[in-house]
Amino acid sequence: MSFVLEQLARFFRRSPKSGPEEVRSAFQDHYRNFRALLTANNNALELMSTAEEMLHSGKPFGMAFVGGDITALTVNVFKMVRSLIALSDGRYKELEDRFKIIADRVEAILSRQPVVAGSAFVLTMEEIDSGAVDQVGAKMANLGELRNRLGIRVPEGFAVTVLAGRHFMEASRITDEINRRLQTLDVEDLQALDRVSDDIQDLIRGAHLPDDLDHLIREHADRLAHDAGDEATVSLRSSAWGEDSRQSSFAGQYRTRLNVPLAAIPETYKDIVAGKYRSQAIVYREQRGYRHQDVLMCVGCLVMVDAVVSGVCYSRPPDDPRSPWLVVHAAPGLGNHIVDGTSAYDLLRIGRESPHAIVAVHLATGESANACLSDVHARELAQLSLRIEQHFGTPQDIEWAVDRDGRLVILQARPSGTLTPTNAGAAPDSASFEAAPILAGGATASRGVASGAVRRVKTQEQALHFPRDAVLVVETPYPEWAVLMNRAAAVVAESGQIATHLATVAREFGVPALFDLPGALSRLEDGQVVTVDATGRRVYQGCVEALLEQATRRPNLMEGSPVHSLLKEALGHITPLHLTEPDSPRFKPAACRTLHDITRFCHEKALAEMLRLGRRLGAKDKSAKQLYVVGMPSQWWVVNVDDGFREGADLSDPFIRIEDIVSEPMLAIWQGINAVHWDGPPPVSLRGFGAIIAQSAMNPQLDPAVRSSLSGRNYFLISRNYCNLSVRLGYHFALAEASFSELLSESYVNFTFQGGAADESRRRRRVHLLADTLRSIDFRVSVKGDSLSARIEKRPIPYLKERLLVLGYLLIHTRQMDMVMHDEARIDRYLEKMRADIAAIRGAAAANSGAENEAAQEHPAG
Amino acid sequence: MKQPKNILLVDDEEEFLETTSLRLRRRAFDVRTATRWGEAMPEVQSGWPHVVVLDVMLPDVDGMECLARIKAMQRHLPVVMLTGHASLQASVWGLEHGASDYCLKPIELDELVEKIILAYQDVR
Repeated sequence: MSFVLEQLARFFRRSPKSGPEEVRSAFQDHYRNFRALLTANNNALELMSTAEEMLHSGKPFGMAFVGGDITALTVNVFKMVRSLIALSDGRYKELEDRFKIIADRVEAILSRQPVVAGSAFVLTMEEIDSGAVDQVGAKMANLGELRNRLGIRVPEGFAVTVLAGRHFMEASRITDEINRRLQTLDVEDLQALDRVSDDIQDLIRGAHLPDDLDHLIREHADRLAHDAGDEATVSLRSSAWGEDSRQSSFAGQYRTRLNVPLAAIPETYKDIVAGKYRSQAIVYREQRGYRHQDVLMCVGCLVMVDAVVSGVCYSRPPDDPRSPWLVVHAAPGLGNHIVDGTSAYDLLRIGRESPHAIVAVHLATGESANACLSDVHARELAQLSLRIEQHFGTPQDIEWAVDRDGRLVILQARPSGTLTPTNAGAAPDSASFEAAPILAGGATASRGVASGAVRRVKTQEQALHFPRDAVLVVETPYPEWAVLMNRAAAVVAESGQIATHLATVAREFGVPALFDLPGALSRLEDGQVVTVDATGRRVYQGCVEALLEQATRRPNLMEGSPVHSLLKEALGHITPLHLTEPDSPRFKPAACRTLHDITRFCHEKALAEMLRLGRRLGAKDKSAKQLYVVGMPSQWWVVNVDDGFREGADLSDPFIRIEDIVSEPMLAIWQGINAVHWDGPPPVSLRGFGAIIAQSAMNPQLDPAVRSSLSGRNYFLISRNYCNLSVRLGYHFALAEASFSELLSESYVNFTFQGGAADESRRRRRVHLLADTLRSIDFRVSVKGDSLSARIEKRPIPYLKERLLVLGYLLIHTRQMDMVMHDEARIDRYLEKMRADIAAIRGAAAANSGAENEAAQEHPAG
Repeated sequence: MKQPKNILLVDDEEEFLETTSLRLRRRAFDVRTATRWGEAMPEVQSGWPHVVVLDVMLPDVDGMECLARIKAMQRHLPVVMLTGHASLQASVWGLEHGASDYCLKPIELDELVEKIILAYQDVR
């Protein structure tokens, strides 16, 4: 249904002759649709390249980006479809169905929900082993495996499953609200992050626990009371479940509550679930490419161990995976404070081979004192740890405790990630540079070398203002500082050791970290540039290039992550272009397989509609006219779709003079075309052009002058602020499109080029030379095979004008390249000349716009 | 070219309403706000707004339903959907039912202003 046709029909009924006013109005309606289509096309292409760039950047991005980009993209493609349908009076109606099929596929990918296993809301420790990982998360599954497969003592208790967690969230109907807040959150804004994090957690804590789940949890709490006594207390720990199996530590992001009375379990359960949205957890997922909905919370509910001594054991040290030692951290009492980085501890080494030699590297209470862990327990711990390592097949990070009865209990076991390559940052070679370190010693928490300005952080408030790429210097490596891991160049802490959560996260993110370095806060000053060699355990003044050369790049944490895979899969239905040949019978709606195909189809057909429109509506001034230059007709044609001709120009002729054209973008291109004298035949003679290319000369079908349909000719489609230039010469096809506007979203230049008339390697070479040239004037260029597309958008008019001048020049002079392509020496000379020409053209343009500005300033009223 | 002057912002997030209306006023727009359909309806009925900026989730009436009601009352009143809800289905539905655009928060003020101007020019 077309408003225009209705109008026309009504008009014709009234009068047998259509007056110029009505035609004008019909034309303007079409032109408005055309402009809307062009703007949407441009937005869609920009959003596609943004998504592609993000996918390959290695930079972290979250679902807020993916959802936002793809939704906006889809909206713009749909606008194009609707504009084309209006423009063509309904001719391409079936395109809407194609669009919806593709959009549905994309939506299905974006909204895919993780599949949750099992049907139980609660599993007891007896029921859990590795096979239950999808029901209870890795932490609880590993613990159950130790208990039931290896017969190792672990705390008794139960797990509230992933399914129960989802049941809670669904029943309380807060998921939409949570997603909405996260969609609009900028995680770089730490203040906003904390606020949103608090709000979401309050929302979850305040939600009603479904009655069935509440009853079930209380039932199991009663059972624990029966077995362990009413006075027993429990620890509640998160056991996060994520869809992928890559090593992601989730270290220290979630919440653990100790000494919880049995009656308080249901309330505390909500608190642990809410811990999924702690600030550091939100940032961590964004950085590692998890969708928030892909991480689900199981909560382990375990009877507290009355510990006399506890700690952490690495079956292989993360900073030295080939070491023959196990490393044990031990402290009196229950040792959550070890992983929180807050406690003094004993550091032991235990030999991997029997009889497990024990070396006390460092004792919290002084060199003469006894270690808090007895040798008997130390050996038992070593043997257990090695069994666990052997069972799981990877080095382990094990939390353990010895209870009042002298029994060794394992609280947790997980793979100890050694993500940082072992060669990251070598030990400093003193011969290679002279500088003496400001600080030396400490413990390598994460290997590597980095340089940056010091920023000391003591409070949360200071953390909010932590600048990107600074060196974080703290007293204690609290897990909360993990929110800064994506922006810190390196971390230096006065205390703490390699078992802290912060160290784990630093290793995962490839951030060099040097802990246990007393005096760091007083010796280093804010703003002072230092080089941290975490591997060599030294801090140097200034930027020590000799060391930084050895630094490795940070790991690409996005590649292969769930969000990365999801974007890649969705883009598979969006960016590939199959419709490249408008003349092919396959160029039709049914052949559109991606959103890009649809944009291409809409753009091409919209141009064709606008070309035909003048004739169709019988509007003389809107029909194609041959361009008249220096007193003779050229082979360039001009179609005025709105206000591209000077008012008062003689429009009765089939010709239009260049002087009568007021389209600013066209005039810029035209000026570029004629800017530099060309050694070949004059640019106005297309027969001359064609002659360069032997193939087109021999085949009259390809000679543009012989072509009858307008779409085969070289034409400008113009309005005052818009120009679309199509050039076909032999096998060459080039399209330049420019729009000038005060609105930035309507200001752009697009250029596509498909070259022919040469062998494959020359065609590629030509396209790459062209690409380099366009990049040098700030176009975003993509090259596929022998075709090229280049874009600039959202720039001010003088800036775009300058690029159009160069484009006009390139349109003519690139062709010359064909003639010299076989001769390396000539091609270099030729490129040099091109560069000089372009510099001259840009120089003249800059001087010109400068003069205009001055003139404008001198005559502000004019 | 004619510019819209009167903007009606409909959103249940008061903080968003406050900051956005402040910033739009600085760009010389007249702005009225509503946190629910009940407040928005009389404004729409009065014919005061030149453009409506509408959130998808409102406490009393679903934003999509709200769009349909606005269009039933004032067929030519341009509506820009602005929401934190990234949904292809909702966006396509919105455009099919007369929304001029469907944008996602957070949005730069310049971009929002352009969307408002374009929506106004398109409908005219």
